[in-house]
Amino acid sequence: MRKGYILKDKLFPWLEAIRAKYPLIAPVQEDGLSLFKEVEKVSDIVLDYGITRMPPKDLFFPQTEKMFRIKNKNNMAVELETPEKITDEQVLFGVHSCDLKSILALDPVFTTRFPDRYYQERRDKTYVIGLSCQKALPTCFCTAYGITPTAYEGADLHLTELGDKYLVEVVTERGERLVAAVPGVVFEGTESLEAEKEKLTAKVAAEIKPVDITGVKEVLDANFELPLWEKWAQKCLGCGICTYVCPTCHCFDINDFNRGDGVGERFRCWDSCMFSDFTRMAGGHNPRPSKKERVRNRFMHKLKYHLDRYNLVGCVGCGRCVQRCPENIDIRAIISDIKGGV
Amino acid sequence: MALENPLLPYIATITKVIDETPDVKTFQMVFDDPEVFNVFKQKPGQVAQISIFGVGEATISITSSPTRTGLLEFSIKKVGRLTSVIHQMEPGMKVGIRGPYGNNFPYEMMKGKDLLFIGGGIGLAPLRSLIDFVLAPENRQDYGKVEILYGARSAADLCFKYDLFDNWPKMPDTQVYVTIDRPEEGWDGHVGFVPAYLEEINPNPANKVTITCGPPIMIKFVLQALEKMGYSEDQVVTTLELKMKCGIGKCGRCNIGSKFVCVDGPVFTLRELKKLPPEF
Repeated sequence: MRKGYILKDKLFPWLEAIRAKYPLIAPVQEDGLSLFKEVEKVSDIVLDYGITRMPPKDLFFPQTEKMFRIKNKNNMAVELETPEKITDEQVLFGVHSCDLKSILALDPVFTTRFPDRYYQERRDKTYVIGLSCQKALPTCFCTAYGITPTAYEGADLHLTELGDKYLVEVVTERGERLVAAVPGVVFEGTESLEAEKEKLTAKVAAEIKPVDITGVKEVLDANFELPLWEKWAQKCLGCGICTYVCPTCHCFDINDFNRGDGVGERFRCWDSCMFSDFTRMAGGHNPRPSKKERVRNRFMHKLKYHLDRYNLVGCVGCGRCVQRCPENIDIRAIISDIKGGV
Repeated sequence: MALENPLLPYIATITKVIDETPDVKTFQMVFDDPEVFNVFKQKPGQVAQISIFGVGEATISITSSPTRTGLLEFSIKKVGRLTSVIHQMEPGMKVGIRGPYGNNFPYEMMKGKDLLFIGGGIGLAPLRSLIDFVLAPENRQDYGKVEILYGARSAADLCFKYDLFDNWPKMPDTQVYVTIDRPEEGWDGHVGFVPAYLEEINPNPANKVTITCGPPIMIKFVLQALEKMGYSEDQVVTTLELKMKCGIGKCGRCNIGSKFVCVDGPVFTLRELKKLPPEF
């Protein structure tokens, strides 16, 4: 892996050079919310943003996505028009290690076995630039899953602020293409920066309240029924915010929009396993009829099912669900209950 | 013609509509581009997504056998939004089809065995793809005796009457048992629920595979009855129905534990079924 650096005061000019070439999506502050958004001016980019309200997954898997246009003349003649192009090349900047890892967790869902054209094209055409955390939030627990707060896995290029420089790690071939397309990274003398990065990693990791997931998978493998599901389900409102803000939740619904004159479109949009009609069939049968089954499904997906299917964690410890749950349902407390077998 | 966008349906035309029961119709469909039949190679037990453009999609099992080439049949019960609309459709109208999805009945493993099909209501639709597959002249010698046990609420609710009373009984070494839930005027056949009739017939498990599909409650009691009669978990095959949207293992709703029914199912042996959490 090639390593280089950018002087701190050269970062924004470098980002501006990127922005001149590609749409640049980066963390900004808007109405008090921290979010990933295409930037008009690089000076709007917020570098010490903590965590964005929403993960960057909608860059690859938009909340609502038109799949094709429909022209239907009374079911006697049908034309379908798929978009020629899903997206232009774009650059996503400033992604923290938990969110980087979540992209890797979504990849096999969409790109293996019946590859999803929409996701694949967005993924292929997006350069992802990671950014190491400088501090941890009280809700952060990426380390529980073996993710370090400065890890580059999932990024094409990864930046770490260290003193008056940013260490630049070129992680992928796509990252090489980006540094070739936009000059500015100096490829020399990064040894001291690498040592500094290790210190930063240890500092931020030490700020994270430890969560130990050892044995959690094994308890869940052996027990589908545990009293804790009923307990947590009693608190749950079924609002679905946990799935909405989750970087690894990938459930969607498919629907047709019909203008009334036969013209319309088929779209997909995010859906949630916390909703009762998610699994309710037309005939009325519902395999997950109550909140207990739905709460269990969500946490089993995070802690067991995704591992079973893809050998990848279904939770990256970003803490968004912990921050946003109106009933303070905390996956860290659920992990602790599971370990206790209660 | 590669399926480069698995979410984009092929356009097809309804060529025939058969009224099966007051709420079940069978739709024969043909792809508008005949080349599609060369890539759409279903196996018995697989499902497809049927589109009505502007309305949506629903997952429907393919009820015709792959041995009947150049057409697909879907038997559809009117239960929801999309199925209510398709029930109003007529020959000549356009629909969309994508698939085939899911695994299939293990027809290789069944070779040399006697087969007992146990169906209830619309549950006969997926079984019919395999029944007609094994009864097809090119495959018949690969399988032993074929028995079909089928029940519905009433005589009017029996699907595929032309097969049950005409086509299948004429086939070599084939026996059909039909029952309805309650006695009714003009019905001189068997009366009673499918699991009870099964126990009455008491078919010997030796060298036999059973394939069952029906309402969840029927499946539950049929599985119990089969175990009581001494069928091993590998001799019992069933096919499940869960709500699906994408059909390709992505949209997340048809999971039973770590399995997605759309790609890992819908066909499971009783042995596989017992390893799944009871959430279906």
